[in-house]
Amino acid sequence: MQTDNHSPPAGRDVGGMVMAVVFILVAAVSLWDTTTMADADSYVFPRAIAIAMIAFSIALIVWNLVRPSPDDGSPVEGASTPRRVGLVAAMLIATALMPYVGFVISGLAVFAAIMGFAMYDPWTRFRVIVYPLVGAGIVVGFYAIFAELLLVPLPTGLLFD
Amino acid sequence: MKTKQLAMIALATLIPIGSAVADYPSKPINYIIPFGPGGESDITARHQQPFFKEKFGQDMVISYKPGGGGAVGWSQLNSAKGDGYTIMGINLPHIIVKPMQKDVGFKTEDITGVYMFHYTPDALVVRDDSEFKTVQDVIDYAKANPGKLTLSGSGKGTANHLAQIRFDDMAGIKTTYVAFKGTGKAVAALLGNQVKAQWGYTSVGAKHEGKVRLLAVAMEERHRKFPDVPTFKELGFDLVSGAYRGIAVPKSTPKEVRVQLSKMIGEINADPEFRKRMENDGMALLDVDYAGYQAFMDDKIGIYGKAARDAGVVK
Amino acid sequence: MPGIEYLLDALTPINVLLALGGVIAGTIIGSLPGLTATMAVAVLVPITFTMPPASALILMGAIYTGAIYGGAYAAILLNTPGTPSAIATTFDGFPMAKRGDGDLAVTLACLASVIGGLVGAAFLLMLAPPLADVALAFGPVEYFWLAVFGLTLISALSEGNLLKGLIGACFGLLLACVGVAEISADIRFTFGSQTLLGGIETVSALIGLYCIPVLIDLVATPDKHLKVTHQPRGFRFLESVAISWKHKLNLLRSSVVGTLVGILPGAGGSIAGLVAYSEARRSSKRSEHFGKGEPEGIQATESANNATVGGGFIPTLVLGIPGTPPDAVILGALLIQGVRTGPNLFTSEGSIVFTFIYGLFLATILMLPVGLIIGRYAYKTIITVPKAMLVPTVGFMTMIGTYAIRNSISDVVIMITLGVVGWVLNRFGYSPSPIVLGLILGSIAEQGFVQAWTIGAATEDLVGMFFGRPISLAIIALILLSLFYPLIRSRWLGGTRRKVRAD
Repeated sequence: MQTDNHSPPAGRDVGGMVMAVVFILVAAVSLWDTTTMADADSYVFPRAIAIAMIAFSIALIVWNLVRPSPDDGSPVEGASTPRRVGLVAAMLIATALMPYVGFVISGLAVFAAIMGFAMYDPWTRFRVIVYPLVGAGIVVGFYAIFAELLLVPLPTGLLFD
Repeated sequence: MKTKQLAMIALATLIPIGSAVADYPSKPINYIIPFGPGGESDITARHQQPFFKEKFGQDMVISYKPGGGGAVGWSQLNSAKGDGYTIMGINLPHIIVKPMQKDVGFKTEDITGVYMFHYTPDALVVRDDSEFKTVQDVIDYAKANPGKLTLSGSGKGTANHLAQIRFDDMAGIKTTYVAFKGTGKAVAALLGNQVKAQWGYTSVGAKHEGKVRLLAVAMEERHRKFPDVPTFKELGFDLVSGAYRGIAVPKSTPKEVRVQLSKMIGEINADPEFRKRMENDGMALLDVDYAGYQAFMDDKIGIYGKAARDAGVVK
Repeated sequence: MPGIEYLLDALTPINVLLALGGVIAGTIIGSLPGLTATMAVAVLVPITFTMPPASALILMGAIYTGAIYGGAYAAILLNTPGTPSAIATTFDGFPMAKRGDGDLAVTLACLASVIGGLVGAAFLLMLAPPLADVALAFGPVEYFWLAVFGLTLISALSEGNLLKGLIGACFGLLLACVGVAEISADIRFTFGSQTLLGGIETVSALIGLYCIPVLIDLVATPDKHLKVTHQPRGFRFLESVAISWKHKLNLLRSSVVGTLVGILPGAGGSIAGLVAYSEARRSSKRSEHFGKGEPEGIQATESANNATVGGGFIPTLVLGIPGTPPDAVILGALLIQGVRTGPNLFTSEGSIVFTFIYGLFLATILMLPVGLIIGRYAYKTIITVPKAMLVPTVGFMTMIGTYAIRNSISDVVIMITLGVVGWVLNRFGYSPSPIVLGLILGSIAEQGFVQAWTIGAATEDLVGMFFGRPISLAIIALILLSLFYPLIRSRWLGGTRRKVRAD
C-alpha cells in the first residue's frame, strides 16, 4: 500500500488495470454524448475531462506493465458476499417498491431484511421480540418526524391514497 | 395529526365528486416549487402563502422538488393526484424552452396551467457609477466595439438570455452574454466589475437599490417602483418579457376545480396588500386566468421559440 | 465593539431560548445524513414570520451553526459526512474512531467548531462591509483557480497511487456534468433517462460513496463497527483542550480561511473545509499522518466550516447576495419580512443586525455544552448498539435522508448505485475521496472556466484573464506550493527520497 514498501510481492495490479479499461469506456461514451450538445459552453469542459481520463487510464496501464505493482485494493477474504449482495438488493428493491406500497411499508421491509443480513448473534427469544419492535419504532418515528414535522412529502403509495 | 389526516382521507372518499368544488379547499394544499428554497419562485410562493390561509382558511404547504432546472418537478406533475390538493409552480420561458431542447420528460402542452399570476420583467442593469447613462449609450458602445460589451445574466435559454438575443437583434448590435448560475451571481459579477452590464430583472433594482441603475425595463408601462426608468417600448424596442410565473395542476384535475383554483389565485392577486408587497420586491403582477392561459401560451411559444433558435440553445 | 448597546437585546430570555433550541435542533439535524442546514432553515421560514426579525435570524442562525457542527458526528462515527461541509472531517475522523478515539475526535470537533464559529462571527461583527468587497473581487477566473486548488488535494488523498486518484477525480468531474447543465442549458449524460435528469445531487452522492461501502462491509463480518479498547473516559475534555492549545495556530488559520471562503458566494463550507485541510496538512510537521487519524485534520475542517457561517452572512447582509445555500433561504425570509439588506442595514437597521450577531455569538458558545453532551451520547449509541440494529437503522436513514433532500426517489437509486460503484472501485484501489472532490468542485471549475473564457475572448485578452489578475496569481502560487512543497521540503531536509514519486 505504501510507495516506500521496498519488497513488493511479485504480480500485477490486474484489478486496477481492468478498472482503468472500464474508465476508458466510460470516457468514450461520454465523448460520444458530447456530440449531441448544441452549445460550446456545454461540451468543452466534459470533453477535456474525458480526454484527460483516457490519458490517465492509459498511463496507469502502461505504468503497471512496465513496473509491476501489487494489488492495493481492500481485501474481501473471510467475509460473506451473500450478505453484501443481500443488503444492496434489499435497498434497491425497497426503493423500487416505494411509489407503490408507500414509504412506511417499504421502510419496514428494508429494515427487517437488513436486520437479518446483519445478524450474527443467535436469535434469542428476547431479540426476536425486542429487535423488530424497536426497528418498527425507528421506522415509524422517523417517518413521523419527516412527514409531519419537516413536511417532507414522502410517498404514501397507491394503497392509501 | 396522523389520525386527523386519516379521518380526512376517509371523509374525502365518502363525499361524491360532484360536491368536491363546493367545499374546496377542505384540507391543506400542497404547493410544489420545482426549484430549491430561497429563489424567486420560492419567495413569490411565500408571499402568497399567508393570503391563501387568510382568504380560504386552509394552509398552503410549500415543498420543493428541485433538479434539472425545474424539469424534474414538471415531468412528475401529471402523475400526481388530480384532486386540486397538489399544485405546482410553473415558470416561463423554462416550460417552453426546455422541452424544445431534448426529451425532458414533459412537453409544454402537457402542463395544465390555471393562472399566470406575475412576472419579473427583464431589465438592462448597470453599476451606479457606470459610464452608461441611457440605453443609447449602451448601443453606441456596442456599435463601436462589436462583441466586446460583456453582459452577465442568469443561465442560458432563460428570460435574461432570450432578452439579450432579442434586443441585440432589434438594436442591430452584437454583445457577449456571460451566463451565471442564478441572478445572485450575475449581480455579483456586475458589482465586482467583472462585466460591463447585466441582463437582469426589475427585482435586481429593488434589491440592490443605490448600487445599480436600471436603464430600461421590458414592460408595457413603467414599473411603479421605478417611475424614472423608461420602458424599452418608449425607446422604440418592442421588448416586453421576463420570468413569468404561474400555477399548474395535474392533468387529471376536474375542470371545476381548475376554474375554482384560478378564481382563488386571482383573488389573492387582487389583494392590495399582496400587490404592494410584490411590487416593492420589484415584481409585476399579471392576471392570466384559466380561460386565458392557452392564448397566452401560444403567443409566448411563438416568441420564445424563435429567440431560442436564434440563441442557438435549440438545435 | 460596534453595536454593543444591542448585546442586551440578544440576551432576552426568549432569544436565549431560541438560540439554545436552535443549536440543539441544528446539531441533531446535521448529524443525520441527508438532512441539511438548508432544509432545516427552509422548514422554519413560515414560523419565523410570527417573530420579530432579529429573533427569527437568531433562530435560523443557531440552527445553521448547529447543523454544520452536527455534520461531524456522522463523519467521524460512520465515515459519512452528515453535511457536505464535513467531507474533510471523514479523512481523519473515521480513522480515529476506528482505532478507538471516536470520543476524542467528537470533542475536538466540538471545540474547533466553537472556535471557528466565534472567529467567523467576530469578522461579521467587526469587518463585514469591507470584507464584502472580497466577494466582489472574486471573478469567474478566481473561482476556477480556487477549484483547481481544491483539486490539488487529490495528491494528498491518493497516497500511493496518484494516477488512480487522478482518474477518480476525472470520473467525479464527469459525474458533476450529468443532468441539465447549470449555466449552458444543455442536457448532458442522461442518455434519455429520467432518473439522471436532475443530475447527481452532491449530498446523496456523498452518502452513497462514503456510507454504503461501510454498510456493505459491516454486514459481511461479525466484527464490531468501531474498536473499543477502553473504559468510558468521559468527554476527554482536558485532553482535547490541551491538543487544541498546542495547535492554536492551525485553528486560527483554518478559521480565517473558513471565513474568507464563506464570504465567496457559491463556495461554501465544503470548499472551506477542503482548503483549510490542505493548508493544515501542508504546514504541519506531521503531514504524513494526515488521512490516518491526525487530530489536526479534524480541527482544520471543523473550525473552517463553522467559520463559514459568520463569513457567509457577510455578503448576505451587506450585499444581499447569499454566501451559502442556507443564507439564500434566510435572505428570502428577511425579504418577505420587509427587511432590506445592504450596506445601510448596519446603520439603519442596527437593532436587527447587531442583535442577530450577538445572538450568533451566544448560539456558538451554547454549542460547547450542547455539542459535548449530544456528541457523547451519539458516540455511546454508536458503540453500544448491536450490529443487527445499527446497520438497518443507518441503512434506513440513508434512504429517507437522501429522499428528503430533493423529495426524489431517483436520488435514492443513484445513491445506492454510487455506493456499489464506490465499493467496487475501492476494492481495486480507487478511493472515493478524489471522486467526491471532482464531483463537488466540478461545477465551480466548469462555470468559472467557461465564464472566464467567454469574457477573455470578448475582450481579446485570454492570457491576461487567466494569468494576469493579482488574486488569480496568488491562488496559482498556492497551487504550486501545495503541489511541490513536499518535494521542496524533502530536498531541503537532505533528500531522503521517500514520498517523491516519478510522476
